[in-house]
Amino acid sequence: MKKILVLLVAVMLLSPVAKAQTASTELGVGLRFQKTEKLYWENGVGLDYTSDFLLKKHIHLKMSYASSRFGSAMIGNAVRQDNILVGADWRFRPQKPLQIFAGLNTGFFHADMENSTFAVLPHNSLLLSGEAGLFYKFKFPLAASFSAGYNLITGNGVAGPGTLFPVFYQLSVLYYIKPEASSKR
Amino acid sequence: MKKNIINFVLLVISALVVSCNPTPDISDNMLDSGQVSYAIPDSLQKHLVSEYLSSPTSIQKNTPVIIAAHGYTATTFEWDELRHYADSAKTFYVSQVLLGGHGRSYADFKKATWEDWQSSVKEEYRKLDSLGFTKIYLAGSSTGAPLIINLLKSNFFAGYNARPKGIFLVDPIIVSSNKTLTMVGLLGPVLGYTTVELPTGEQGKWYVYRPQETLKELMKLIDLTRRDLEKGINLPDNLYVKVYKSKIDDVADPVSALLIYKGLKYDWTLYKSIDVEMVDSKLHVFTRLDGRDVVAAHDRMLQYKAFKEMEAKMKE
Repeated sequence: MKKILVLLVAVMLLSPVAKAQTASTELGVGLRFQKTEKLYWENGVGLDYTSDFLLKKHIHLKMSYASSRFGSAMIGNAVRQDNILVGADWRFRPQKPLQIFAGLNTGFFHADMENSTFAVLPHNSLLLSGEAGLFYKFKFPLAASFSAGYNLITGNGVAGPGTLFPVFYQLSVLYYIKPEASSKR
Repeated sequence: MKKNIINFVLLVISALVVSCNPTPDISDNMLDSGQVSYAIPDSLQKHLVSEYLSSPTSIQKNTPVIIAAHGYTATTFEWDELRHYADSAKTFYVSQVLLGGHGRSYADFKKATWEDWQSSVKEEYRKLDSLGFTKIYLAGSSTGAPLIINLLKSNFFAGYNARPKGIFLVDPIIVSSNKTLTMVGLLGPVLGYTTVELPTGEQGKWYVYRPQETLKELMKLIDLTRRDLEKGINLPDNLYVKVYKSKIDDVADPVSALLIYKGLKYDWTLYKSIDVEMVDSKLHVFTRLDGRDVVAAHDRMLQYKAFKEMEAKMKE
């Protein structure tokens, strides 16, 4: 898992250097708001990167961290749980303001059992999910995306954490610190 | 070609319409048929303390009574073994309520809401209170547990002379082990109903068919309870609560115990929390053993230990 993360971060950070002379790159950072169907709000931060060399920006690489610590557990007795995700989306109409996307994510899930009585319960899991939705890029360097996702790995309290549910929805608001025009020749 | 496509589309639509409202094939020996009802007066007379002790003596009024609520699709038999224990210990009574919509027929079950399921627990509490019983306890297995937690949340007991002394929850379901249940709103109308295979010893005691309407009610109840626990439910200072949860349970996700532990709170100045025991069992409702295909000595020991503990708590 750590290797995948390191590889993705390396691709994101180093590729602009390697391709800066020839490619147009975009890097957006922002907030992610996630609601799991019949469970918690898990909010956090996200990052989105693309470049001309990623099939003319049809592919977007992304990372996010979302936690109930910044959602349901902040105001209630929800289980404190964290999701670290890396993934890739395929964007249809990548040059248009309104884009459709579909992608795959993987990552790591951890639930804090808090009390030794519950230490026997599974609390870590690999994440693997599919996601599809809409992305809208405003004229100023902001974008918003809304999507629905499905966790292919869920928990039943024996083979995986019981609070890892299948269906989730997310809304991301991204600010482009490296918008399209900045590295264009 | 066009005609073929239209025919195919019509066929698919017809198939979907038919599959959206299927009727299960119910035989007479199934509980679903309505031929074997637990809601008849004889059965209620046998299982409810308010019926078989309708004129209690002062000694009986001061003997602890457990109102025991069974789980989704089950019947009073789920608490038979605690009743047998109580009958031989002679230190407490067990009032085995039949949840509304349960133990009757598929049609009755299909139209019952979770509030209907709960109504018989409320009714028995009301009757025992009016008969003068002073030491009332509640026990809930599986779905019986969120029904009882909802009574705490809604402050149901505030209007009665006798406040509950204690609550025992056995394999409570707040989160289902099968996460597909969270999608019942979407999949339910297509499925119509689901079916369970019953071992020989449990036939006629459970519904075989689970109408999607009732699965939605179950989801509604456990989701509401989860959200209530998330907000926090305050417990009276002197109310004892114990949760027994099997470590391995293919029906009620063991994390349910954690959600109850976090959600049921005493006043913080008391520095105490509810009791939770993660039980070394693979059975859902480990206190119900009769009728199962395989029961190990270890299971009998766990059941006896739990009953003994409940009895000891009521003697305090």
